[in-house]
Amino acid sequence: MKDAVVALAPILIVALGGLALMMSEAFGSPKKSGPASDLALGSFIVFLAGAIVAGSLWMVGPEQLSGVALVAPWLIVDRFTLFFDIVLCIGAALTSLMAGGYLPEHRLDRGEFFPLLVFSTVGAMVLAASGDLLSLFIGLETMSIGVYAMVGFRRGSLRSTEASVKYFLLGSFAAALLLYGGALIYGITGQTDLASIGAAVKSGLGGRQTDFGMLLVAMVLVIAGLAFKVSAVPFHMWTPDAYEGAPTPVTSYMAVAVKSAAFAMMLRVLLGIFGDETSMSWGTGWPPILAALALLTMTVANLVAGRQESVKRMLAYSSIAHAGYLLVGVVAMIKPGTDAQASVLFYLLSYTVSTAGAFAALILCGSRTREAVSFEDLAGLGKRHPAAAFALSFFLLSLAGMPPTVGFFAKLYIARAGIGAGLNVLTVLLLLNSVIAAYYYLRVMVFMYMRDPAPGAPVALPMRSGYIVAAIAFSAALVLLLGLWPTTSLKLALDSVLAVR
Amino acid sequence: MSLMTLIPALLAALVAGALPREAKTKHRLGFAFIAFFLIASIGWLAPSAPEVPVAADAPKPAEWPYLLDVLIALPILGGLFVLFLPRQMPSLLRGFTYTIFALSFAASLMLLAVPMTAGWHFQHIVPWIDAAGIRWHVATDGMSVWLIVLTTFTTPIAAFASFGSLKIRQKELCAAFLLLQGAMIGAFVALDLFVFYVFWELMLVPMFLMIGIWGGTDKIKASVKFFLFTMTGSVLMLGAMLYLVWTHHELTNQWSFDYLALSRVVLPDTQLPFAMSPQFLCWLAFSLAFFIKVPMWPFHTWLPDAHVQAPTGGSVVLAAVMLKLGTYGYLRFSMGLFPFRSAILAGNLGAFAVIGGILYGALCAWKQDDIKKLVAYSSVAHLGFVMLGLFGATPSGIQGSILQMVNHGLATGALFLLVGVLYDRRHTREVSEFGGIAKVMPVYTVLFVIVTMASIGVPGTNGFVGEFMVIAGTFASRRLAQFGAIEAVGAAFGVILAAIYMLAMVQKVFFGKLSNPKNQQLKDITPREALAIAPLVILIFVIGFFPSLFLDRMRPAVEMYQAQFVKVYTNTQDTPVAARLLPRDMFAPSFLVGSPDDDVSASTVAVAAATPPATPSIPAAIEARAPAMAAPPRGEPAKRPGDPRPSRSDAIRSPVRMVPGSVGGVK
Repeated sequence: MKDAVVALAPILIVALGGLALMMSEAFGSPKKSGPASDLALGSFIVFLAGAIVAGSLWMVGPEQLSGVALVAPWLIVDRFTLFFDIVLCIGAALTSLMAGGYLPEHRLDRGEFFPLLVFSTVGAMVLAASGDLLSLFIGLETMSIGVYAMVGFRRGSLRSTEASVKYFLLGSFAAALLLYGGALIYGITGQTDLASIGAAVKSGLGGRQTDFGMLLVAMVLVIAGLAFKVSAVPFHMWTPDAYEGAPTPVTSYMAVAVKSAAFAMMLRVLLGIFGDETSMSWGTGWPPILAALALLTMTVANLVAGRQESVKRMLAYSSIAHAGYLLVGVVAMIKPGTDAQASVLFYLLSYTVSTAGAFAALILCGSRTREAVSFEDLAGLGKRHPAAAFALSFFLLSLAGMPPTVGFFAKLYIARAGIGAGLNVLTVLLLLNSVIAAYYYLRVMVFMYMRDPAPGAPVALPMRSGYIVAAIAFSAALVLLLGLWPTTSLKLALDSVLAVR
Repeated sequence: MSLMTLIPALLAALVAGALPREAKTKHRLGFAFIAFFLIASIGWLAPSAPEVPVAADAPKPAEWPYLLDVLIALPILGGLFVLFLPRQMPSLLRGFTYTIFALSFAASLMLLAVPMTAGWHFQHIVPWIDAAGIRWHVATDGMSVWLIVLTTFTTPIAAFASFGSLKIRQKELCAAFLLLQGAMIGAFVALDLFVFYVFWELMLVPMFLMIGIWGGTDKIKASVKFFLFTMTGSVLMLGAMLYLVWTHHELTNQWSFDYLALSRVVLPDTQLPFAMSPQFLCWLAFSLAFFIKVPMWPFHTWLPDAHVQAPTGGSVVLAAVMLKLGTYGYLRFSMGLFPFRSAILAGNLGAFAVIGGILYGALCAWKQDDIKKLVAYSSVAHLGFVMLGLFGATPSGIQGSILQMVNHGLATGALFLLVGVLYDRRHTREVSEFGGIAKVMPVYTVLFVIVTMASIGVPGTNGFVGEFMVIAGTFASRRLAQFGAIEAVGAAFGVILAAIYMLAMVQKVFFGKLSNPKNQQLKDITPREALAIAPLVILIFVIGFFPSLFLDRMRPAVEMYQAQFVKVYTNTQDTPVAARLLPRDMFAPSFLVGSPDDDVSASTVAVAAATPPATPSIPAAIEARAPAMAAPPRGEPAKRPGDPRPSRSDAIRSPVRMVPGSVGGVK
């Protein structure tokens, strides 16, 4: 029992921290200034503790812990899980800092936000750790329900409500697809844990031809469900609306933590269930589906992003495009011996810090009633508030993949994996896509530095908040450190990969 | 103290005294400094004694290995530091920027203090990202050293000129100039493809901001176009880089982005000139990035836009240094990594350079009404010469090309500065707006005509030397085969066209009747503006009269590089179906110093390089047979394991330390 507690320490710490936050919010003395500032700090500490504990377990090595066997196969505690615990906790910690500044500024200062955030993160961590279809589904729903509520957190705003409903409906639809795929898999193999299913699939399902057909149907359903969650084109329709309508910290959380967890789930399912030779081959398995998804996702998202008028919506499309780059890395896993999986993990880490930083900078650029929504709002910001403009440019350059930021190195690493797997055309298209992407990231800089606001037009007025500045400083430090000295974090990613075949 | 040493000081005093009465003291001091510095440096650079051939085993003069790091880091860190200075104190900002520039320039002069023998100088290698085989590897040689000095020389001038005309947001301007300089020097000295790519991309951002913030009416379009054109080329180059790295990994099971290591990789190819073979595609991806930057026809369309919209200082840096990165990149990377492709396509590419670059650029320039656009198109033509010399790949052609890179930097930089002077007064650059202004601006006219002559390539100016060497090299080139002669003729015709378009413009702008009444009151060039242009104009003549000061320093490196290019090309003509690794002895030993597999076989190289073949054979046989051969030879300190940098003494003096199986470096 005690061993199991140690093995699950990161999840438990975050969960217990969430309970404590809830208690303190319910019984704490009401303050005039609202609860957000204290709770944000509290949840930041909780997430930081989760990340640190996960990191120390990673150092110790999960194979040293006897409790690991007790919780398997429902929850698998390996380096992969712990890596994602770290990434998810960093993403959530940055979100809580952002919320600490954003909620009071926008008169949304209600305490329930932080427990929602914490429990949603617990769901995401469970999802990344799950080794069984049931725990996977529980994790997915725990994560999603929290996010549905947070998306609709601006109750007075029609957009927020619309986003929430849209996300809820399409998210449920995706979950249903996944569930249906899972049911078919259970029907074929009679197993729910991924390892046993994988073994059954590998052994050829007893040679029954009909089952192979059904397995393919299940594969397509599962991939469709996963594609919804990572918002790959053509399953991306909900993303721009949900991202735009949600309060910005929640947008950041969805773009960062939810997407990372979904990719963790994708890697676990693809390698766990469909990791055999046949399923991973170019002719009879998932690689062509995912390659097509990757190509569509990158290209469509980048082209559409260039036409957006709202910065937040542009960032939403940019996050879709990044999912496309990540899918290239996922496809590159088909060739053993390449570090494709590590490149996906590293990219997620890089993407987490860059995107969270970009959203934090975007929050900083606006204030209540004078929010930074459209490109026009940002016009001349480089003159009015150089620091905020510089911060936003910095993170956008990282997203665009300009050296010496981490975004460049991550993209290079994915491209290297792609070339190594022989996906030359797909990789070159990825690289060309990053040029298209550079266009719309530069557009923000064009407005901030090179245009003056039209006379009388509303302009964004930067807000003041220590929390937001802390979030920006934290992510900027990571973006620069990981970009200039990626060796340590690269090793972290390299050692965290799931075993292939 | 003899009279000779006093000459520079006397001349400086003379110059300072001869300035017109209204000149300010600081401008007098500036001119005096330039005069002093000029004479002193010619005396310093000129070989005083007949050159003694340096023995191969002579101890090399000490080279401070961190010099290049300083040259890169000083401006970049300075640029970041500027962001924290208060913007209310523009003179502090400017003073700080000038200080950094002065330090960089002084540091870059230290590069000239050592004899530029063939091989790498000031090499510095530090492991950086081990998991991916990326090292911080910077070094210079005779081919890049003048470009570094050109960078540290022209960027301050551009900054000085900019501060005169751009009064808004000088803080960002200082930061942009400093970052730009650091990134450009980094790209010139990087020998690790990753490091090169980092700097190659890094310099886009400051230039993008410079055009976009301080540019003309259509600045946004021009800046975005500039950025996207260049980035398209560079991401394709990144893809080819990764392909090369993977091939190297498959051949050696070792990750490396190192230029020296990757030079040994031969990608599969076919004899057909335009087959979709890996080597062709990779060569194309690299070269495309460089051709866009140069720019060569048909990728030149961003250049006129960028130049016309950019502020004067931005144009100067763009023309003087940034375009050189394209030509330098082709010389160093396309030719170095894919000699076979560069050689068999040379004839076709030469035609591109002559027709699309030299002739088309000249004809376009002829038709321009905007003086700045004319100068921009003349850049296309001049860089056609540079590329032609590189395609021809003869020693004199390459030397001429490198000299022409410097020349173009000086002459075009000066032209942009002069056009900027006119623009500051009239806010127009239309040729038709002017006419006869020699009457009101005599000094300005003299300067303009001198620079025009340099740009055309009149004997006595620097342009003549470069263009002559390029044309001579083209004529004699074996790479261009039967096209060489005809391309030489085409290039020579380009010189005539250059005279036509430049002189036609000069004639229309400066001579004839002073018809436009707005030009009646034009002020002649101010001392401040002249101070910016003076060093460029003086250097035009220095290179014109003493080209050997410059050529001597690049000759050994160019000759070694060219010989190696021919050797590798001849040995890869069999066009392998599978990728393979060339043996180490295909390359000059001094070329491979510092390559990542040096640890095992540096000694092999050293033997081949330093010792006559007969003597060491017996000890070599003994040592090679001895099982304890890993022990360092007597008298040598044990080399730290993992030390990537073979000590120089190691590479030169050590007797044999042969590892079985590493002969020739093939694994």
